[in-house]
Amino acid sequence: MTVAAVALAVVLVVAVALFSRRAVLLYRLVRMGKPIKRFDDLPGRVRAEAVVVVGQSKLLQRLLPGLMHAAIFWGFIVLLPTIAVAMIGIVDQHATLPWLGEQGWYALLVDVFALLVLAGVITAFAIRKVQKPGRFAGSHLREADLILLWIAGIVITLFLWHASRIALALNEYPAAWAPISNLLAQALGGPLTPYVERAAVWAHVLLILSFLVYLPYSKHLHIFLAAVNVFFGRTKSRGRLEPVDFEITPAEDVRFGMATVAEMTWKQMVDTMSCTECGRCQEVCPAYNTGKELSPKLLIMALRDQMLADGPKALASANAKLQPLVPVAVTDNVVWDCVTCGACVRECPVGIEHIDHIVDLRRNLVMVESRFPEEAASMLRDIDRGSNPWGKPQGDRAQWAQGLDVHVLQPGEPAPDVLFWVGCAPSFDERAKKSAISTAKLLKEAGVDFAILGPREACTGDPARRMGDEYTFQKRAKQNVATLNEAKATKIVTTCPHCFNTIGSEYADFGGRYEVIHHTEFLAGLVREGKLKPLAGERTITYHDSCYLARHNDVRNQPRELVAAAGRAVEMPRNRERTFCCGAGGARMWMEEKRGRPINQERVREAAGTGADTLAVACPFCTVMLDDGVRETGAKLQVIDLATLLSEAVERRKAQDAAASH
Amino acid sequence: MAPVVALIEHADGKAFDTSLQTLAVARSFAAGQAVHALVLSSPIRLDLELGRNAVFALANDLGHYGVNVAHIAEHEALDSFAPDAWAAILGQLADQLDATAVFAAGTERGNEVMARVGARANLPLATNCIAVSAGDPITLTRQRWGGSLLEEARLNSTRPLVTVAPHAVPIETAEAETKVETFTPQLKEQELVVRVIEHVAAAGGGVSLAEARVVVSGGRGVGSKEGFAIIEELAGLLGGAVGCSRVVTSAGWRPHTDQVGQTGTKIAPELYIACGISGATQHMAGCKGAKRILAINSDAEAPIMLNSDYAVVGDLKEIVPAISKEIRANRGHAG
Repeated sequence: MTVAAVALAVVLVVAVALFSRRAVLLYRLVRMGKPIKRFDDLPGRVRAEAVVVVGQSKLLQRLLPGLMHAAIFWGFIVLLPTIAVAMIGIVDQHATLPWLGEQGWYALLVDVFALLVLAGVITAFAIRKVQKPGRFAGSHLREADLILLWIAGIVITLFLWHASRIALALNEYPAAWAPISNLLAQALGGPLTPYVERAAVWAHVLLILSFLVYLPYSKHLHIFLAAVNVFFGRTKSRGRLEPVDFEITPAEDVRFGMATVAEMTWKQMVDTMSCTECGRCQEVCPAYNTGKELSPKLLIMALRDQMLADGPKALASANAKLQPLVPVAVTDNVVWDCVTCGACVRECPVGIEHIDHIVDLRRNLVMVESRFPEEAASMLRDIDRGSNPWGKPQGDRAQWAQGLDVHVLQPGEPAPDVLFWVGCAPSFDERAKKSAISTAKLLKEAGVDFAILGPREACTGDPARRMGDEYTFQKRAKQNVATLNEAKATKIVTTCPHCFNTIGSEYADFGGRYEVIHHTEFLAGLVREGKLKPLAGERTITYHDSCYLARHNDVRNQPRELVAAAGRAVEMPRNRERTFCCGAGGARMWMEEKRGRPINQERVREAAGTGADTLAVACPFCTVMLDDGVRETGAKLQVIDLATLLSEAVERRKAQDAAASH
Repeated sequence: MAPVVALIEHADGKAFDTSLQTLAVARSFAAGQAVHALVLSSPIRLDLELGRNAVFALANDLGHYGVNVAHIAEHEALDSFAPDAWAAILGQLADQLDATAVFAAGTERGNEVMARVGARANLPLATNCIAVSAGDPITLTRQRWGGSLLEEARLNSTRPLVTVAPHAVPIETAEAETKVETFTPQLKEQELVVRVIEHVAAAGGGVSLAEARVVVSGGRGVGSKEGFAIIEELAGLLGGAVGCSRVVTSAGWRPHTDQVGQTGTKIAPELYIACGISGATQHMAGCKGAKRILAINSDAEAPIMLNSDYAVVGDLKEIVPAISKEIRANRGHAG
């Protein structure tokens, strides 16, 4: 054994020991996490890994930062074997990794990708120092600089080592295959070159090993955990929340959301450890963008900090005194600012699921602490007692359909082809009713065999659930599933994206499995089949994607088919899966917006900016919020549901046909 | 047997209903033990034997609700709310009587005082209860989640501190022979640091929206912050409160506290005058308790027109000042 080999062995042992000390702690924390089912759907998980991690799909949504990161990420993958090459080189100057170390094409790859990493680091610095995007506000900026310098150092020492080996004719591959190193080698070749070679390889390996030790103590842990976190992310039903199991015995073990770090699930823990503070979530968050306290990034960072502070205490003793997450890590306001629009979740390149954290914090506040914005109390009570959030008489539920000849399905009657699940807002709210009426008329026009449940339909419980009142939600869910199963419903059409999400993605957890179709999808199908014949009119229409439709459930094209059928389409800057919430989601419809600027007005201004005269919507809550926004801002826009626009277009065609036949 | 103690809040010589409800729960817990009441007052300065003082009369009348002994604690500082002082007195009385339990109404004041009693004695506090039974542990039924859930809870405490959910249990009468005694508290200066020194009426004439007999509300149709002058004028003339719709608070014309609606204040006035309000469901949820609704709107098709008792189609900027003028003219004649 040479001195170099012994030295390397000692350094390696120390580095691995330091790394493991921290890694074991983090692993023990994760093992302490509460269970959550994330081992199903292996093909979906592998696909997510391929697309999001290997393919860098979410990062590449922003071109420059995306390419920057992809260069560094792919560079590191390609350069991984060079760590072994360098260590072998320390022990024996004349040896290399068998086969791979001798390949010219690999030398070329290393040269090219090392340069790409360097270019990536320079770009990253340029973004951070020159462009300075707002998404970094609140992140650990100096730590990021240090990490970038570290990476640059690793790559520069690699180049230096390769160049000096070529200068010393130690290269196992033809020098021409490594053009950059070869070029650098021209500058070397003096008597000091052997020392440069030794110094470079040692510096390279020491930088790598110290980086390895530093990682688990830093925000840069995502290098290891991003791939893990993406793998265990939601693959299906992104709009689905994890149900609380109230039947667990002993009852003391029921998990009412999270009060302290001891109630976090292991996925939530990995979420917080994966965060690298890039701020993509913050940049798209409707709450943050309208001057509210919530930033999804700062939320996750605060939870991480408290987990790392309190987690070891919880590991040491089951009776450890743990700090409440609210208000120690985040304030009550942060928890209630969220609209559960999912923009942050969709944007996050490392698979963090912010909504699950928010809802679990809410569950604890509502179900254990009874602490929530008081104006929402009557909504919870009315959903619990009166089956709709406004406490309207259940008997009036089918009143909107008066004179439309809509069949109200009675118990025991045979199931229709389509069950039209109307929803509370389209049943009771004056503005949203128009959508129900238009939909019913169009279904009649197309000759669809459908019926409604009338007073047997109750609120799906969505606002209660997003508010954290899981108990009230489950009560309604079980009742509705019983009603739907008794009615033998198979195909359900809803006009409300919240009903659509709840019945379609969440009722399966309570024994309700149906084909749930949003009215925009169903109506677009009828148009395609020729059962509805619209004629586009003069309107210039901009369509507002509802979060629970476009983002949580991937319904984006069919509404646009309807827009095209009704008039001329113009898109808002934030559209499709990157839509901007109306402000009503996450039960915010039932809370006062006391902080920051109103979200609905922000969105209305964006819509008005397109020059459209019509703001098309596909959600009763968006209808109310945006219509209010139009009134508040005085924008010259008409807010109209797509069903009503289609109905108009169908009437237009009829009028034209009638005129032509005369 | 050691007694239970209940804090009685009162004003104008009358005990609050919430306090009388508290007595019903306290009595059922006492199950035969004596029920003591604490009445706080500024010095009475009258011979108690005369029985003419309002506070004394009130204390005496607590016998109708099963109180065996009513303690009147007097102190110069007790004519206004002073949570620390109240807590100190309640704690001292409980100690002196070796009370088995202490009760108060689950009002904002009651909860605050009892939280302080708990902190001082290092005892747990159960809030918002509707039933409490003695035992080891004590079993409680608590109102949760805005009243939609009843929680069965167990409380381990040598002296349970309980607040009773307001308006959730009926007042019960039970005749008892009441002895009225004076209790002299020992108050430290710092216990009087936190106290109400002045009542300032809210803008709008001091009539609270929730309790006003007349509410005049403005919506989007009012047009601007300044446009509310005519609404305020009419509300003032009618001795009512000013309200508004959600659109108005979102536009920043009025504070959130003025909002009538699902997420604002729920009102139940004799007369609700809605000016330039379309009557969205969110708004109607807040005024469905109104006995009569008068809607003024330029749009005859507005939903509120269908939901009102009287509807005037027209420009509120002409109609509202005209009503005010008419009221003034009539008053001029009358005066």
